Formats: sequence, structure tokens, C-alpha cells
Amino acid sequence: MNFWERIGKIDRRFIFLVMAVAIILPLIRPLGLVGRVGKRTQELFKAIDGLKEGSYLFISIDFDPQSMPELYPMYLSILRHAFSRNLRVIVSGLWITGVGLGEEGLKTVAPEYNKTYGKDYVFLGWKPGITAVVLGIGRSMKETFPTDYYGTPYDSLPIFQGDITYKDIPFMISLSAGLPGYETWIAYAQTRFGIRVGAGVTAVSAADAYPYLSTGQLTGLLGGMKAAAEYEFLIEKAGMTSAFKPASQLMDSQSLAHLIIIILVLIGNISYFALRRKR
Amino acid sequence: MNISPEIWTWLSALLTLFIFSFLYGDNPLYRFAEHLYVGVSVGYTIAITWHNFFYPDLIVPLFKEGKVIYIIPLLLGVLYLSIFFPKVSWLMRIPMGFVLGYGSGVAIPAILQANVIKQIQGSLLTPAILQRTDLLLWGIISLIGVISTIIYFFFSWEQRGAIKSIAGLGIIFLMVGFGASFGYTVMARVSLLLGRVQFLLRDWLGVIR
Repeated sequence: MNFWERIGKIDRRFIFLVMAVAIILPLIRPLGLVGRVGKRTQELFKAIDGLKEGSYLFISIDFDPQSMPELYPMYLSILRHAFSRNLRVIVSGLWITGVGLGEEGLKTVAPEYNKTYGKDYVFLGWKPGITAVVLGIGRSMKETFPTDYYGTPYDSLPIFQGDITYKDIPFMISLSAGLPGYETWIAYAQTRFGIRVGAGVTAVSAADAYPYLSTGQLTGLLGGMKAAAEYEFLIEKAGMTSAFKPASQLMDSQSLAHLIIIILVLIGNISYFALRRKR
Repeated sequence: MNISPEIWTWLSALLTLFIFSFLYGDNPLYRFAEHLYVGVSVGYTIAITWHNFFYPDLIVPLFKEGKVIYIIPLLLGVLYLSIFFPKVSWLMRIPMGFVLGYGSGVAIPAILQANVIKQIQGSLLTPAILQRTDLLLWGIISLIGVISTIIYFFFSWEQRGAIKSIAGLGIIFLMVGFGASFGYTVMARVSLLLGRVQFLLRDWLGVIR
């Protein structure tokens, strides 16, 4: 058995071990690799940064704990950005399993900026119906969400001065791990009511989101953990936070893991062609 | 090293390790964690549905505020349960028909507008694009990509001569698209692993800060 035959029959658990070492070592001893902030991340940052103080920012939690490592750091960073700009934040979601994450993020970030529940931010929770919910907000937020997540009546929440619709919300972000998600908001809220939509998506679906950027249906895009790290960098650079940056801490490991996968793909291909020639 | 004293962190860490044990091979600990996850997800979904929707949006208006109009959605919902009784299971078609009719009526124009008309507009070389060299270049590449890929999927002609060449170009664009998607997929899967490793090393073991 020659070298390439041995490579082709290597135990997959050995590869798992190599990968584990490659991602754990940079966490214990960071390599300090430098990245750059992408254009799409900057667009989203500017869109939020350009909102007037006191404007509404609607955030839709369209993901569940499975996508937490990629999308939750984005959520925390966007909340920090919004609160430091004194925006009024409305959080809801189209995924039932995202409810806990939406609430947890607000409970983590709001105290950092001394924000008051009901006045500076509100959590509306989840409603079934997907398109009915998205279209309903365009007609009446009060009818769609008669109470917040905790059962407080809409009229008792000082953040809402009267019944609001998309006309009162200059920008919204869908943090999306699939359907329903940013595509739902584009189809039913952006196209029909004209609200500007930004998105934070898992890396798996990032490539699918690009066509919506070139048509202007999306304003800014955060694609995967790398973009989450870029956003963390931007808000820290702007002096908006000094909190722990979960995505940034993982970037060295991510880079090293990618390097190993590239090497493995190359070795696999060379091995395949070498063995095919031998046959 | 600063190991967490939180029982929930320990539980979470152990369940993570149970799931990771599948990398070595299938085992009872992995299956326990998998079944627990499914059970907890279903229980959580039922609880949130009741507290966030069923009680405030149906029980309260119908039984506490006396809004009898809410009897209609309640009846439609109950008809779904007729599937468990073969003699009257046909009744389930009523809410199904309502949902399909509403869904199609709402979705077709919206999806057509957002995913077809807007995308066609985005593929056109508009005067604004013609004014900037970089946009023009990408616009032309995008237009060629769209046309050649559509021609690859056009099966009414035999792909020979010029059509075959254009369809071949379409395959190249498709392969570039698949490559980009695969790269992003690798990044996503590594990110998920990293998230768990960060939890184990930081929140549970306290090895990193």
C-alpha cells in the first residue's frame, strides 16, 4: 500500500482529532490574525447608524438555538448599536423556538445602557401565521400584537405612541436561519409596504441573499460568524461597547479550520487522481 | 481554570459531549441526548403556543370578552382533529382549503413581485449602472450569467452549436455558484462547532476568557 492509498483509507476520527486541535489551540493561545470589514457589513452598520434618535428599529428573531453561534452575536451587537444610538427597539420573531433567545438578548444588553422595558424597548414574542403576522403589521401593530410577550396590553406600553405600522418603522432587520426569514420580510413587508430591510443570515444561506442586495431589496447583509465579528469590531471602534465579543474570539480558530479543510480537499483530490491513474 | 458551579451549565455541557460522542460512533448517550432534545423542543413549542397565542388570542377574546366571531377560527381549528376519526376525516378538507386558498392568494403575487419581477429588473443594464465602470462590468457579467444559466435549463431545443456553447457557459456559472455555497456551508458548520467549543472552554471549564 503506497502513501496515497494510505491517505485514502485514513480513519475519519483522525481528521476529527486534527480539527479539534486546530480550533482549540487558537482559543487558548490567539494567533492575532487580522481581518477586514466587508462592504455589506458596513452598509448595515451605516443604515442603523443613520437612523434618527428615537426612531423605531424592528428586529425579527427568525432563528433557533441551532444557529445561535452565528446569529446570536449579531443580535447582541445590533442591540448594543441600537441602544447606544437611543433607538426604540421592537423585537419579535417568526420562529417559535427563537422566543427564548430574543428575550435573553434583551435581558443581557438593555441593562448595559440603562434602558427601560416598555419605554425604550419591547418584546412582542411570537405569533403563528407567518404571512398574516408580516402583513398584519402593515395594517396595524396593535391588532397584530394586542399584548406584548408578557401579556401587557399594547396601549399600556409607552414605546408605542398610538397604533403604528411599517410607515413608522424606518428600518428592520431579520436575523434569519432559513424560512420563514428575511425572504418572507422582503416578499410581504419590503415589496408591499416599502420598509427597508436588512438581514443577518447563517453562512449557509448567505450566497442566496446576494441577489436581493443588487436589486436594493436588502440594505446590508451580515453573512455568518465572520460578519458578526466584523460588526462587533465596528461597534467597538465607534466606542459603543467594551463587552465581550464572542464571534471575534473565534475568528482565529475559524481561519485555521478553513486552512485545514482546504489542505484536506487538496490531499483528497490528489489522492483520488493518483489512485485513478494507477487503476 | 475557573469551572462553572452552575448546574444548568453542567447539564448543557454534558449533553453537548453526549452529542459529540457520535463522532466516535453511535451509542446510548448520544441517543439519550437526541431523544431529550426532540422531547424538550415539542414541549417548549406547545407551552409557547399556549401562552403566546392560544390563550391571549383565542381563549381571552372568546370566553372572557365574549367576542363570538372567534368561534369561526376555533371551529376551523377543531376540524383539523377530524383526521383521527376516519368516518368524518373529510371535514379536515375545510380548514385545509381555507389555508391553501388564503396562502396561495397572498403568496403568488408577493413572491412573483419579489423574486421574479424585481430580480429581472436587477439583471437589466439601467442608465445608473452604465455611468460607473465597476457596476457596468458586474452588470454585464451578471446578465451573461443569468442568460446562459437559463439557456442551460431550456430543454425544448436540442443543445447543439451555439446553444451548446452558451449552455456550457451556464454550467460554469452554476459551478461557481455551487462553489460559493459550499464554501459558505463549510464556514457555517465550522461556526456551529466553534460555538459549542467556546461554550465548553469558556462557560463550563473557564479555560479561556
